[in-house]
Amino acid sequence: MGGWQKLGLKIFLEEPLRAEAQEFIPVFHSWIQNQAVDGHLLIDVHDYSHVHRGPGILLVAHEGNFSLDQGDGRTGLLYYRKQDLDGTREHCIREVFRHTLLACSRLESDPVLGGRVRFHTREMLLLANDRLHTPNSAETFEQLRPGLTRALSGILGRGVFSLDRVEDPRERFSVRVRVRRSFRPGYLLRRLN
Amino acid sequence: MMTWKEHLGTEIPDELGREIDIFEMQMELRRQGKLDEKIFAETRLRRGIYGQRYDNGSRHDGVRSQQLSYPSGDVIKGPETLWDAPGMMRIKIPYGGVNPRQLETLGEIAEEYSDGVLHVTTRQDYQLHFVHIDDTPNLMRRLASVGITTREACGNSVRNVTACPLAGVCHTEAFDVSPYAKACSAFLLGHPDAQDFGRKFKISFSGCREEACGLASMHDMGAIAVVRREGGRIRRGFELYVGGGLGAVPHQAKLFDPFLPEEELLPTAQAISRVFARLGEKKNRARARVKFLVAKLGIDEFRKEVLKEREIMPPDERWTAYLPQVPEFQETAVRPPAALNGHQPPPGFEHWVRTNVYRQRQAGYAVATATLPLGDLSSWQARELAVIARRFSGENIRTTVEQNMVLRWISEADLPKLYGELEKIGLGAHGAGTIVDVTACPGTDTCKLGIASSRGLAAEFRRRLGAKFFHLDDSIKNLRIKISGCFNSCGQHHVADIGFYGTSRTIKGHKVPHFQVVLGGQWTENAASYGLAMGSAPARNVPEVLERITGRYLEYRSNGESFQEFVRSVGKKELRAMLQDLLQVPAYEVDSSFYSDWGDPREFSMGDLGTGECAGEVVTLTQFNLASAEQLVFEAQIRLDDRDFAGADSLSYRAMVEAARALVKTEFLDVPGAPDTVVSEFRRRFYDTELFYDKYAGGKFANYLFRRHKSPSQSPTRDAAHQSVEESQLFIEAAHACYERMAREISGVH
Repeated sequence: MGGWQKLGLKIFLEEPLRAEAQEFIPVFHSWIQNQAVDGHLLIDVHDYSHVHRGPGILLVAHEGNFSLDQGDGRTGLLYYRKQDLDGTREHCIREVFRHTLLACSRLESDPVLGGRVRFHTREMLLLANDRLHTPNSAETFEQLRPGLTRALSGILGRGVFSLDRVEDPRERFSVRVRVRRSFRPGYLLRRLN
Repeated sequence: MMTWKEHLGTEIPDELGREIDIFEMQMELRRQGKLDEKIFAETRLRRGIYGQRYDNGSRHDGVRSQQLSYPSGDVIKGPETLWDAPGMMRIKIPYGGVNPRQLETLGEIAEEYSDGVLHVTTRQDYQLHFVHIDDTPNLMRRLASVGITTREACGNSVRNVTACPLAGVCHTEAFDVSPYAKACSAFLLGHPDAQDFGRKFKISFSGCREEACGLASMHDMGAIAVVRREGGRIRRGFELYVGGGLGAVPHQAKLFDPFLPEEELLPTAQAISRVFARLGEKKNRARARVKFLVAKLGIDEFRKEVLKEREIMPPDERWTAYLPQVPEFQETAVRPPAALNGHQPPPGFEHWVRTNVYRQRQAGYAVATATLPLGDLSSWQARELAVIARRFSGENIRTTVEQNMVLRWISEADLPKLYGELEKIGLGAHGAGTIVDVTACPGTDTCKLGIASSRGLAAEFRRRLGAKFFHLDDSIKNLRIKISGCFNSCGQHHVADIGFYGTSRTIKGHKVPHFQVVLGGQWTENAASYGLAMGSAPARNVPEVLERITGRYLEYRSNGESFQEFVRSVGKKELRAMLQDLLQVPAYEVDSSFYSDWGDPREFSMGDLGTGECAGEVVTLTQFNLASAEQLVFEAQIRLDDRDFAGADSLSYRAMVEAARALVKTEFLDVPGAPDTVVSEFRRRFYDTELFYDKYAGGKFANYLFRRHKSPSQSPTRDAAHQSVEESQLFIEAAHACYERMAREISGVH
């Protein structure tokens, strides 16, 4: 089973939202000015906030996109790979967590947003942006569950989360990760590192 | 790992699959530096793969220009276009017609290869942005598997053939133009006579004269359906216009024929293509559209040339083969016709019906418009819309040039339910075709030529006008706003009541985004007249400009005076005077907000303008055909490496025939493809005349072709196959050299 090279992760914002989508535009532009994201060539910012269940505010990078995504009707930071990640499945998952958590952490501490942005990790969405190699089926889930569990245990801790597949076959293969308690992005980052 | 090619297998039609395989091979040739960058650029453009802003590797971040260092370094996919830089993929959809399965696939590829958004263009195409070229073959295969080709969506080719989205269900049409648009699109797709243009060629079909319909007046070729009674029977035909176009220098199309019988439609389109290819400008890209050729020759002389060409064209059974099927071209409704039942409609329904529903000619059915803000639709919405379409409309979805989508054949009794479903997916907004339904090209968001942010301004208009829509007078509500990011007019600002296009001014060393205000264009009667430029206002003031113009119109218009009449009666001088104070820009130190654009906090700069690819690269038909020959010999080399010696030998031979044919076509455009004919014509025209002779080798390379043609080897050995490949390569080189000598002689350069 392939498709791990194009993984994505969405971490949701605490509600109610206290910042307008457009406020993220200058923030993302400043990231480009400073090329602030390691391992990414940041290219441009795009405002899709008018699109229902769309990518919201999008920061385009060569390696993967970051967006203030509205994808499943809730706002969160979605990071997904466009260029393949190398390495084992576990490594790919860890890398995607690392980039997403770093971005969340950076947004939480951004002076323009002034501490009005808070992410929670009670629920996260892990997705594979590759319908060919990771079809959204129960079979795929059964095959991947052990590896996913192993990788997530290393990040979140053993026995603190559950996994559920998003069953709509039209959607990309996506797994909801429900965590018993919400960790701060910074804390998980430290654990990862 | 499994590939899309393997996975889709026979779902990809052979011809499309083969084309995509060839393109993939051309990509590899380009990566290896074996295919000229200009030829590859035009090749990819003709597959719909377009450049995008910042693809030259430079971007102004508001403070300075940053170099974008992509992993593949300086590998390019065209002049000043880096391989790794994200690009745009245009997907042409003849007359805007898609079915639910196609819409689902479009949604999937937008998600996996783009940014999860489908953008509907002003020519009924879809566009995906931020696509990596390496993903395009699989993207195209997935589209091909549902019957969509991206071929000739860009480049110097026949672009998407558009048509009125109400074709077939409209009250005012002479007849349904959809099957004709479909036939015309299929006939000209890849047609040899439509491969040697200096610029693009746009065709539209209209069902009537009175409505905006297919906007015939602004097309290179616009066909309006008309019928004539002849000997007691109704005969179908077209009022045919040529030489229209917007761009920096808009032209109204000229009447070519008041009644072109339906059976003459395709041959005439072919003859026009031949004349455009033969006489159209090739060097000066700014004057290479058909409109300039028509203006230069005059419509009478242009017509003469076309009719002369029509006389000499070899007959083609496809000209009329589709006509017997035309009456069978019918869409099927999924629900029986029924009137609205009078039940209490959901809130908002009445407003929506007023602006978004058109009652069809067929009693009990209606067309419903799903309004797409800025022409954008998320992948999720695409999938959900497909489900809704299956339930209420069947296969009958079309895009519109106003960047919306319509569902046709809705049973009127279902309208409240449909509205509810569209509301749930964020597509139930009212106001289609009104002042809030602003059309905008991509502008500085993604276009290399964009000067100002057309989408940013459109979003601001939508926000302001949306908030007060219900308080607007009907005369204002029904105005149309269209915005282009530059003078090239992709937002069709010339045909709006109120149009804008992006410009720039420099104030004490600082650049300021501006929009030229264009007033009084006419949308109806197939875009009957173009607006007048009134002056350039700083982008920041443009919402106020709109406010003032509409306010003045409301206040001073005479009884029932249209906006166009109002603009004419007030006059340009007074209108400009009315806006004068809004054309001023405060100093940077006083208000720096004037120095950035809508939706973009960066300080405004013109530094990101790139070389546009709208004009494509001027690559002659001969160069293209020689490139095809090179691709064949490349394939032969692969076969040789795979120890398929017979295959290598055969492909090498085909490559030589293809190269010879490329040369023969310079003198005999319609040369048939049979090798006997090609070789004989090549011998007569290029060998016997010594045109093909090399300065030192004489006719040696031609003899490679003659020998292989005369004595094919039944089971070539490795050495024999290797020799075939080598000789084929040398023959193609000689063909290139010969063509260059001919081109030099024609241009007088030695």
